[in-house]
Amino acid sequence: MTDDTEGETEQTVVSLERVTKTYDLGGTVEALSDVSLALSEGSYTAVMGPSGSGKSTLLNLIGGLDTPTSGTVRVGRNDLTALSENERADIRGSEVGFVFQTFNLMPRLTAVENVALPLVFAGVPRAERRERAESLLEDVGLSDRLDHKPTELSGGQRQRVAVARALAPEPAVLLADEPTGNVDTDTGERVMRLLGDLNDSGNTILLVTHEKRIAEHADRTVRMLDGEIVEEET
Amino acid sequence: MDGREALRMAVRSLLGHRLRSVLTVVGVVIGVAAVITFVTFGASLKADVVGQIDSSTANNIYLISAPGGDEGFPESPQPVFTEHDISEIGGLEGARAVVPQGTVSVTAVSSGNDTVARSRVTVTTPDAFDGADVVEGRGFTSGTDELVINGYARSLFEEPLGVGDAVAVRRGPNETVNATVVGVVNSTASQLPFQSFAEEPRFYLPTDPHYDAVVESPALGVNQRAYPQVTVVADPSRLTATKEAVGSYLDESDAASLKPATYELSARTGGDIADRIESLIDRLTRFVTGLALVSLVVGAVGIANIMLVSVTERTREIGIMKAAGARNRDVLLLFLVESAILGAVGSLVALPIGVAGGWVAAEYADIGLTLVPFWFGVAVLTGILVGVLAGLYPAWRAARVDPIEALRRE
Repeated sequence: MTDDTEGETEQTVVSLERVTKTYDLGGTVEALSDVSLALSEGSYTAVMGPSGSGKSTLLNLIGGLDTPTSGTVRVGRNDLTALSENERADIRGSEVGFVFQTFNLMPRLTAVENVALPLVFAGVPRAERRERAESLLEDVGLSDRLDHKPTELSGGQRQRVAVARALAPEPAVLLADEPTGNVDTDTGERVMRLLGDLNDSGNTILLVTHEKRIAEHADRTVRMLDGEIVEEET
Repeated sequence: MDGREALRMAVRSLLGHRLRSVLTVVGVVIGVAAVITFVTFGASLKADVVGQIDSSTANNIYLISAPGGDEGFPESPQPVFTEHDISEIGGLEGARAVVPQGTVSVTAVSSGNDTVARSRVTVTTPDAFDGADVVEGRGFTSGTDELVINGYARSLFEEPLGVGDAVAVRRGPNETVNATVVGVVNSTASQLPFQSFAEEPRFYLPTDPHYDAVVESPALGVNQRAYPQVTVVADPSRLTATKEAVGSYLDESDAASLKPATYELSARTGGDIADRIESLIDRLTRFVTGLALVSLVVGAVGIANIMLVSVTERTREIGIMKAAGARNRDVLLLFLVESAILGAVGSLVALPIGVAGGWVAAEYADIGLTLVPFWFGVAVLTGILVGVLAGLYPAWRAARVDPIEALRRE
C-alpha cells in the first residue's frame, strides 16, 4: 500500500485522453465517444450510469482487458495503447486490481491461493506469495478463513477475498465493478467501508455503480450516458 | 509463470475431476498397454524362434531352389541337385559334409499289427545324423533298410517304438520295406529351420537304396539321383567363404540347368534364414502394433474431447486468470500440462499392464519372455506425445479466450 501523498503533488495515475471505443456488432456501436478522464493518486472516484452507458467499457479499457479504437489510456507510467497483448497482461497483473460484482474467485483454490493468484503470474516465489496473501487477508479481516474454498465463504467474505486479491500486486488503481451488486445491504455497507478504509490508506479507487447510495461513498462522481461523460461532481 | 507452478495447478484441476480424469486416462492405458503387449510378444517370439535356429543350425548352409523374387519360403522344392553337384560341393574348401534330403511317397507305416497312415518318409544320408541330437541308438548306414525316427514318430504307435523294433514301410500296393529302427533323434534334428515351427513325426531312410528320383546329370550325361534339398555343413571358421564358394559353384551346377527358368538357386546360412524369419516376425509385429496404435488414437481423441469440455467449463476461470495477469502463453501451458499429465499417467500405468499382457501371451504361446526396454521408453514417450498433441487445440482455444466475454459469463 502506498503512502498517502494526497495534498502534496497531484499525481495522475490513470488518464484517458479523447478515448473512443466502437464495437462492430452488425452495425457500428459506439460504447465510448471522446471520453477524457484523469484519476489522481489516492483519489476515490465513482462512475455512475445506467447499463449500456459505457461504464463497463471504461473499466475494461483502464484495466487493460480491452484497447480503445482511438485515444490513449495511461495507467501509472504506461501507455496501454502502445503495449502488446503480453505487456497488457503484465499490467493487469501488476498495475490494476479488479473487484467484480460476482467476486470471480477461482473455485478450486483456497482464499490464500486466490489472493496470491496475480503474484503467481508475476513470478513471485511461493513462500513470499503466501506471506503476502496472508497479511492481506488479515487486513480485510479474514485471517481465520485462509484455507477455505470460496464455497465455504459467505458473499461478503468472498468479496473481501476478491478485494485482497486486487490489492496483492500493489496496483496503481483498484477497479471495482458493482462490488455490492451480489451481497445484501448490510454486507454491501461493510464492503464499502472496506473500500473507504483502503482509500484512506492511500489507494486510488475507481468504482462503477448504478446506485447513487453507493456512489456517495466516493469523493467524486462521474455520470455517464450513451458513452459520454455528462456530469461531474466533487 | 514457471513450469512447476503450471504443473501444480494442472494437477489441482485434474484432481478436481477425479472420475473424469481416470476415465480419460483409461483410454491411453488401453492403447499404450496394447502396444507394449504386442511389441513384447513379438520380441519374445523372435528371440525364441531365432534362438532355436541359431543353436542348431548356425553353421549350416541351405541350398534352395525357389521361384525368383519370391520373398517367401519354397513350398515344394524341385529335385534339381544331382549327385554330381553334391560331390562337387563336397570337394569345396570349408565344406565338411553335404547332406541331401528328399522324400519318398509311402502309404502307411506299420509296427506289428499297428498301422499308421503316412504319405511321405524322409530320405537322407548318414551324415545328417553327425552331431545331430541322436537321443537313442545311432544313425543309419547307407545301403541298408535301417530306419531312424524322431521322438514324435515313436509315439504314433500304441506301443512306442524303440531301437531294434521292426517297422514295415508300405511304398505301394506291392512294395513294402521291412526296416529296423536303429536310432531316435530329437524332434527338430535334420530339418530345415523353417520346418521346425510345426513339429511333425518323421521317419528317415537312407537315400541308398530307397530314393528313386533320378535325372540325367547335364554335366556327366548319366542318370543320377537328384534331390530337392541340400544342406552343407560348413567349417565354422570359414562359413562366409564357404557360402560364397557354394554360391558361385551353383551358377555352373547341374541344378542351374535343371531348375525351371524362373527359379533361382540360393545358398543361405542358418543365420540368413534366421534374419528372414526375424524380418517376417518384425513385419507382423509392426502390423499388429499398428492396430494397437489405433486404440491409442482413440485415447488421444478422448483426451482432446475432455480437454475441450474442460476449456468450455472453465472459460470463466480463464477470464479470471487473465484479469489477474496471466498471459496467453500461461493459459496455453496450463492446459497443455494437464493433457500431457493425462498422457503420461496413462503411459506409466500402461507399462506394467502391457508387460503383464506380454507375459500372459508368451506363457500362452509357451515361449520365453523377452523384454525390450527401448520400446517401453518409446511407448511411454508416445503416450506423453499423444497427450500433448491431443491437448494442443483445446489449449490454443483456452489461450484465445476473450477475458471480457469470459468474465461476463454466469
